[in-house]
Amino acid sequence: MDPKLDLPQGTLDLLILKAVSTGPLHGWAISERIHQVSEAVLQIPQGSLYPALHRLERRGWIAAEWGASDSNRRAKFYTLTRAGRRQLEAEAIAWDRLTAAVSLVMAMR
Amino acid sequence: MLNEWWSDLKYRLRALVSRRVLDRELDDEVRFHLDLEARKLEQQGVPPAEARRRAVLAFGGVQAAKEASRDGRGLAWLDHARRDLRYAWRGLRTSPGFTVAVVATLALGLGANTAMFGIVDELLFRPPAYLRDPARVHRVFLESTDRNGRSSLPEMAYRRFLDLTRGTSSFTTTAAVFVSPLAVGTGRDVGEMPVGGVSASFFDLFDAPPVLGRYFSRAEDSTGNGAAVTVLSYGYWQGKLGADSTVIGRTVQVGPNEAVVIGITPPGFAGTESGAPPVLYLPINTFAASLIGRNDEYYRNYDWSWMQMLVRRAPDVTVAAAATDLTRALQTSWLEELALSPRSQPPLDVARPAVLVEPVLEERGPNQSSTSRVAGWVTGVTLIVLLIACANVANLLLARSLRRRREIALRIALGVSRARLAAQLLTESLLLATLGGAAGLAVGFWGSRLLRVLFLPDRPTGQPLGPRVLGLAFLATVFAGIATGLAPVFQNRRGDVASGIGGRELTPARSRLRAALLVAQAALSVVLLVGAGLFVRSLAEVRSLRLGYDAEPVVYVRTRLRGLNLPDEARADLARRLEDAARALPGIESASRALTVPFWLSRSSDLWVAGIDSVERLGHFGLQAGTADYFKTMGTRILRGRGITAEDRANTPLVMVVSEAMGQTLWPGRDPIGECVRVGADTMPCTTVVGVAENTHVRSFTSDPGLQYYLPADQFLPAEDGLLLRVRGRGADRAEEIRKQLQPLMPGTAYVAVMPLASIVAPNRRSWELGAAMFLVFGALALVIAAVGLYGVIGYGVVQRTREFGVRIALGASRPAILRMVVGDGFRFAAAGLILGGLIALFAGSRIGPLLFGIGPRDPLVFGTVTVALLVAAALASLVPAWRATRVDPNEALRSE
Repeated sequence: MDPKLDLPQGTLDLLILKAVSTGPLHGWAISERIHQVSEAVLQIPQGSLYPALHRLERRGWIAAEWGASDSNRRAKFYTLTRAGRRQLEAEAIAWDRLTAAVSLVMAMR
Repeated sequence: MLNEWWSDLKYRLRALVSRRVLDRELDDEVRFHLDLEARKLEQQGVPPAEARRRAVLAFGGVQAAKEASRDGRGLAWLDHARRDLRYAWRGLRTSPGFTVAVVATLALGLGANTAMFGIVDELLFRPPAYLRDPARVHRVFLESTDRNGRSSLPEMAYRRFLDLTRGTSSFTTTAAVFVSPLAVGTGRDVGEMPVGGVSASFFDLFDAPPVLGRYFSRAEDSTGNGAAVTVLSYGYWQGKLGADSTVIGRTVQVGPNEAVVIGITPPGFAGTESGAPPVLYLPINTFAASLIGRNDEYYRNYDWSWMQMLVRRAPDVTVAAAATDLTRALQTSWLEELALSPRSQPPLDVARPAVLVEPVLEERGPNQSSTSRVAGWVTGVTLIVLLIACANVANLLLARSLRRRREIALRIALGVSRARLAAQLLTESLLLATLGGAAGLAVGFWGSRLLRVLFLPDRPTGQPLGPRVLGLAFLATVFAGIATGLAPVFQNRRGDVASGIGGRELTPARSRLRAALLVAQAALSVVLLVGAGLFVRSLAEVRSLRLGYDAEPVVYVRTRLRGLNLPDEARADLARRLEDAARALPGIESASRALTVPFWLSRSSDLWVAGIDSVERLGHFGLQAGTADYFKTMGTRILRGRGITAEDRANTPLVMVVSEAMGQTLWPGRDPIGECVRVGADTMPCTTVVGVAENTHVRSFTSDPGLQYYLPADQFLPAEDGLLLRVRGRGADRAEEIRKQLQPLMPGTAYVAVMPLASIVAPNRRSWELGAAMFLVFGALALVIAAVGLYGVIGYGVVQRTREFGVRIALGASRPAILRMVVGDGFRFAAAGLILGGLIALFAGSRIGPLLFGIGPRDPLVFGTVTVALLVAAALASLVPAWRATRVDPNEALRSE
């Protein structure tokens, strides 16, 4: 069975916000982080990663800054802003409620 | 939320300003990502080239991702718009013929609308210049019921104005206003000019500080005792007094007064009344005395309804509350009037007097002129012209997009989204509409000058296209852009990619949309042409209407004594001398003194006839008094009996001539000659009817029963001094010369005015003249546009079907048969348009009926003529392409593909 799952609509933003909540990351690292943490189940569709990043930046939820990467190359690092943190909290709660509700329904006999 | 907007704005701004930097950064970011991905794969043992390939693959379309990221910036639309605009501009430049045709069509349509908006704006929407808070300023109309039914009139007696001012508490300002011509100036410069009589409070309605001096004080406008002071209009001060800044304190002769100049209005100040703006203003109490001499009763009684009342509502008063307040005051005033002269008005419970609080603009009130109503119709007409122009342009765009089908199909195949394609087509049509709108502004600017002459002949040329008009013109332009662009968009939505690219169809399916547009154009043209026909026929009917007198050769001479107080004998003597002098002038065929003038002055008197309770109840009987040559001078025919003769003197038996209609009304089925009428009071001796004259129209073209009677001037009001002259040729050509000859007879500052009767009668024909002119111009314009559209479509069809025609000719079809086929196509469109347009015209006809004269809205002659006109236009439009179709050379046609 293919270990990769399609992301439900709207979860990409939540994942990105969560991924950058621990500290500045560049695009590739965000996708890697999600991939690893999800034990290789979630694969960010890379074509939509950058449009999503730019959209979030436009909304002011993440901020971008050019810095040096591990390999000392110029890379664009994304960090969570205050507004982004609020958004993340709100979305995380909504997500928890949704998944809890879905599991309740699925546990139905 | 606010933060989010701010960040969004900052981001978009940055994207806008440093688009290139952002693009480069995006490149860097994606490259960095791919490098890292490739390195990861290499570390897993994949060869470098393969690693790179897989990295790109995993990314899933680098360009698409970049494009999506740009969209994420929220700026894609701008980018696209810019590209679309450049693309559209290039496209238009490569086909200048098409562009010019479209822009010219739209310019005519939009220009006509802009010009007409300007007129309607000025007639109905633009508040008087300088008026403060126009929404709170109102014109007061008095409504009441009398024997003629319920009517609402703005005119009232000055006493009524005083009553309403005292009896109400809803207003911060109440003002009285009346504009009338008065003689201004002295000597050779004297001329009648519009003069405004206004209460001192009038200027409080405005924010219009005087350029020089001040306005009237309350003391200068005190009741029954106005001061001889005047405020000049800026225009008069500039034009007649050379903008002399020392003018304050000098005097100007106005009517009987030498008025001291105390102020100058600011430029463009035109008061509140429609029509020609006053050249100067007098306190209304001064003005009243100028008009009626020494009579000081005008502020005590209610006999003379002349002035109009304007009010400014207090801030917390609604229109309804203001009307209630005024109505209550009017009822009190009504009772006071009845106490003063008991028979003057019906009692309160019959009259039920009420006040209407209307907008300050006269044309917005209940007594809208037919000019305004015609203006409304003509605006509808110009909108239809715009629709026709849009349909035509849509058709041209469709033809163009059909020609570009292959290109468009290719773009769809290459993955351009339909939405983007639609945006592109709309950009093109909006660009065209903008160019058309810009050209239309020029057309509208010139057009509005032309229209002003027709609709607002007395108004000074103000700002022709105000902001409201420009706004509407802009909306019309956007509408035109979208409306014309939609057709090709819909067409392409249904486009079939494969056949589009193939582009080889023997007989391309005819576009139903194009056909519908053509039929719509033809139908709308039919509607306009029917309207034109109806107005032209009405005008012809009005012109050929027998008025019961000749207007062309007659001039009206009247004297103005300017306050000169002549005893009755002296006035009678002056009148006789004027009549004799006029008779002696060369080219005068006859002359008669006259009490009244058609459409200008009317009089009536109470009548008593044996066997009739109340003559008044049978209608309004107009009184005319004249001398022996009256009927000859006016050209009114005597049907039976005799007219007035020189033998009818003050000491001979009283006689009268009645109109045919009056005879039938008072003595139905009997010969009126010999009947007895008592004039003025039932104790008067009999006035015997000695003749019957033909009916005349003296008050209205449309509804005048022609109840008129004629008395010898020597037996009735001998001191009246109006004079009617019949000249050889046109009265208008002789008027000035007659005035110069008669003026020396006038004593002191008195003067004589000479008016051609035709110029008094003609304005009453204006609404039909306007309707006929405007419908005709726009109807012809519509027909031409529709014919050009038909020509374009048929011509395009012929080009497309070249191969088909080639085949037909090769198979032996005769050329006349081909000709018939193509022309038949044109006729089919025209016929469909005729049926549809005819139905619309029949339906709309009942609404335009009241504006017509002498014909019904379903006049068969008009419908017949329009049918012929449209068919001829269709034939002309399709003959040229049809002829071209017969010229198709089968060899060439079949080989060409």
